[in-house]
Amino acid sequence: MDVHSPRTPRRRHMRRATTLIALGAVAALTLSACAAGDGGSGDDGGDKTLTVWLPGTNQTEIDLVTDTIVPAFEKESGADVEVTFVDWGDISTKLNSAFAAGTAPDVFGHGPAATADFVANDRILDLDDRVAAMSADDRDDLAAALPGGQVDGVQYLMPLSLQGYLVMYDADAFTAAGLDPDAPPATWEELKTAAEALTERDGQTITRSGFLSPSQAIARQQSFATFLFGAGGELVNEEGTEAAFASKEGVDALDFFTGLYSGDTAVSANLGEDYLNAPAAQQPLVQRSAAMTIQAAPMMQQIVDAAPDRDLRVMPALSFEGGDPAAFGGAGPGLMINADSKSPDLAWDFIEYMLSPEVSTEYTQGTGAIPVRASAADSDYAKNSPIITTFLEQSEHLKANPNVVGWVQVRDALDKELERALNGVASSQEALDAAAAEADKILGANG
Amino acid sequence: MTSTTIAPVAASSAPAGATPPPPPRRRRRWSRSAIFGLVFVLPAALYIVVFQLVPVIYGLVLSFTTYSPLSRSGPEFTGVDNYAELLGDADFGNALLVTGRYVLQVLPITVVLALGLALLVNRPFKGVGLFRSALYVPHIVSLTAVSMVWLWMYSQTGLFNEVLGFFGAPAQSWLLDSDSALNAVSAMRIWKALGSNMVLLLAGLQSIPRDLYEAARVDGAGRWATFRYVTLPGLRPMLVYVVAMDIIYLAQGFAEIYVLTQGGPLASTTTVNYLIYTEAFQYNQMGSASAMAFVLFALIIGFSVLAVRGVMGRQK
Repeated sequence: MDVHSPRTPRRRHMRRATTLIALGAVAALTLSACAAGDGGSGDDGGDKTLTVWLPGTNQTEIDLVTDTIVPAFEKESGADVEVTFVDWGDISTKLNSAFAAGTAPDVFGHGPAATADFVANDRILDLDDRVAAMSADDRDDLAAALPGGQVDGVQYLMPLSLQGYLVMYDADAFTAAGLDPDAPPATWEELKTAAEALTERDGQTITRSGFLSPSQAIARQQSFATFLFGAGGELVNEEGTEAAFASKEGVDALDFFTGLYSGDTAVSANLGEDYLNAPAAQQPLVQRSAAMTIQAAPMMQQIVDAAPDRDLRVMPALSFEGGDPAAFGGAGPGLMINADSKSPDLAWDFIEYMLSPEVSTEYTQGTGAIPVRASAADSDYAKNSPIITTFLEQSEHLKANPNVVGWVQVRDALDKELERALNGVASSQEALDAAAAEADKILGANG
Repeated sequence: MTSTTIAPVAASSAPAGATPPPPPRRRRRWSRSAIFGLVFVLPAALYIVVFQLVPVIYGLVLSFTTYSPLSRSGPEFTGVDNYAELLGDADFGNALLVTGRYVLQVLPITVVLALGLALLVNRPFKGVGLFRSALYVPHIVSLTAVSMVWLWMYSQTGLFNEVLGFFGAPAQSWLLDSDSALNAVSAMRIWKALGSNMVLLLAGLQSIPRDLYEAARVDGAGRWATFRYVTLPGLRPMLVYVVAMDIIYLAQGFAEIYVLTQGGPLASTTTVNYLIYTEAFQYNQMGSASAMAFVLFALIIGFSVLAVRGVMGRQK
């Protein structure tokens, strides 16, 4: 055999090529099989598997969901549920990447502010029919929360809890300053006066803030919203097509906000510091570096646990003189169903299970959140917690950010201008006008 | 029937002085060692192509499109619009200035201090190993973890304010004041980069032949002359490497910004990389984010080349 025959190498090459193609095909099939396995979504009628991503790194919540709630659902439904907790800071990034790659989970949790963008891109299922199929009692019980999960009147997100920000105060500090802790301020003007009495200074430096409102990035927009709503203003017009915050109410609200940190009657120290997300033991109320702070319900619970010997109380929602009480809040984080899920019915079963009266109360109790069901007011959890009782009583005054496409960009544009006003770089009117111009552009582009 | 026989022309019968015909072409064959070499190189080459080259090319393509990962329609070609918009983008301009200032205030200090430390630990003294290790430790710890520790140290009740309080000075808002925030981040970055730069420069110092120093001593050179005419020229290749790598790393500053300041206050610490992050992952504007990334890439290349030429040029 002539080994130098010109035909033989070609044959060899062909054989090699065939082998490579075969190996490639095997590898591709193996990878695709792995990918299918990772996806985890089975047909509703077949393999009952469900992938769920929940935001947050609260260990109590993780333990409760993974050790108690999900196993109970699996037992009841016969499904296999794979739950992944994702840090709040990463949830949008990971979801976007997963959507682009076609590997997004069947069910995922997020804040209401993100809902409109998912809807605009046809990424989540319309839940109207499924909500309509719930019992009337259930719908009534969830009535306070459901609107927060709607975009253009259509239900897309099912809130797992309510959220809200009220003022927590140190009753002993009130007494020491000659104030009556049993008659806390009812308006923002009264609160400012009380805060001036509670503020302690060392020369020009405030050593104890009379009142602290979140002033770090993003949270300062929520503080502004609280003051704006209390002044009777709105963030966007009814159609959601134009900014409405550059109004007289908006300017009054921002003047009040900036006045907390600047001027001779300043009552707040450390503009821009994120006390809201500090550990409970480092909270200004626990450290006695503030007498009143705006807080969310879960952290209030943790603060009470961190300072059990202190008399810390919660104020009802405040307004400006002549206005209606209001505070930033409303529907909290909730669950959505991926529009490409192969198990939408099973996904809905999981959501319904999470929202069932017993599980919902157990979940909100475990996380220290405000229960999403009105009937939870009768639960031991609410009855035994003055904080939760106050939040439930005030739930009608809680107002959320609007669910409009592009809201995250609008919020950040507003946030940037609020920072300029708070730092004295721009007046309230200038800052709000600039933010409104930017917001109108964004809302117009998405409208 | 007559026949004509044509005798073959034998090579040996060629007339003297004629060019010999070229030798028969040998078919190229892969040698055994070449095949082995290819097999060993292939995984790394594939890795580089699949995980580095392709994403970079894809990023470049995306920079000429408008694309949101949430969108089902995929990227839409927009030509050079993203680049054109960057020209008038005040936020991008500010981010470029912040990035430039960050590089310029960290790089010289970290290189000069690291050189001083390298000269110090190049001498034998008791505990030199421990001293070198202690200086190198910050480089081993992840930037995010280090930033978390410094976040606490800069807080109102953190270490720095405690020290100030001990001496009766008022507490400072290190990260909350737009005048001091970038300086505070820079101080952390200088501390972080010092150890690795010192080790690299130490390696450079130890590679300088000892006989050059002996020759300089014999010639009567003093300490400064020895440093200037022996140490610095010998260290130049390593200095080039250190300066170039520092420019590359510092110009891509992100983790420390994300943890310490989130780009604030008043955008005083918003570097280009942080702006790219917000554009890409908060607003899903992958096209404009990619354009920013490639402008930054071009600037890094440009400034690195300038820095390398600046240092090497003197050698010529």
